[in-house]
Amino acid sequence: MKRISADDKAVVFQLSAREREAFVRILQTYPVVPPAHQPVSKELNNPRVAEYQRLLDDALAEQRAANQRHLHAWLAAPERFQKIKAGYRFTLERVDSEWLLQVLNDIRVGHWLRLGSLEVGELKPQDLDPKLLPIWLAMEMSGYFQMSILEALEG
Amino acid sequence: MARIASRPLRPLREIIFPAPLIPAATAPFLDKRRGEIYFHTVANVAEPLVAPDQEKETRTKDELEPGYLVVCWNDPVNLMQYVTHVFQKVFGWERQKAERHMMQVHEQGKSVLARESLEKAEFYVHQLQKYTLHATMERDA
Repeated sequence: MKRISADDKAVVFQLSAREREAFVRILQTYPVVPPAHQPVSKELNNPRVAEYQRLLDDALAEQRAANQRHLHAWLAAPERFQKIKAGYRFTLERVDSEWLLQVLNDIRVGHWLRLGSLEVGELKPQDLDPKLLPIWLAMEMSGYFQMSILEALEG
Repeated sequence: MARIASRPLRPLREIIFPAPLIPAATAPFLDKRRGEIYFHTVANVAEPLVAPDQEKETRTKDELEPGYLVVCWNDPVNLMQYVTHVFQKVFGWERQKAERHMMQVHEQGKSVLARESLEKAEFYVHQLQKYTLHATMERDA
């Protein structure tokens, strides 16, 4: 995934066919983090906190549903991936960048949770049950796309 | 950088209807514990009545005073550059300040990002959790 141009409105990347396939397949796994996963506070027996927890869970669930709808439309847009000689040209509008980073991080964190929330350095693919390898790969690939996008936006 | 302005987390609570005036079909959300009914849009079935006592009760001193800390906790999965980026976006900080807090999270296990009222703390926690960071609000001891 290589940035080929950028302006105020969009960043354009070049992806190989395999990168594009991996990118789309990983995005299609969204959302991965389980609902009501995140505590709003460590003061769990405070009744006020319980109310905020409910509101937060509702808001995050609504947001996930909206993200999922947007993701389907976004991936289906004909201008999203344009075939070129060396693979595909992928256009990311800057207005979509924060949303896409949130989606990719949900995928990364969600797969990490599925692997047992271990230290990332301890997650060596050769030591994993082969059934868990696709999960590890999705976690690593979502991190790779996340970093490529961040570097392109900030560079 | 600009702060994220939308606040979808809290229900609208400016307009409070006394329960008997509202037909059941038009009352979308009743908080029985507080005795308040929340509307996402203004209903045209009855004139809204503002109940100042109830409003006062819901916006307590506790909510308005900056007695809550917004804390970000370390985890082994969020990438350092991503965490820095999120702090910049959510708080509008310069990169240097965002990096300092990110390093504090990484090295000390947590960083206090803001000291705010309950409402603002909740807003920031929501914003940080949208990015899947491990953030909570804690009462300032």
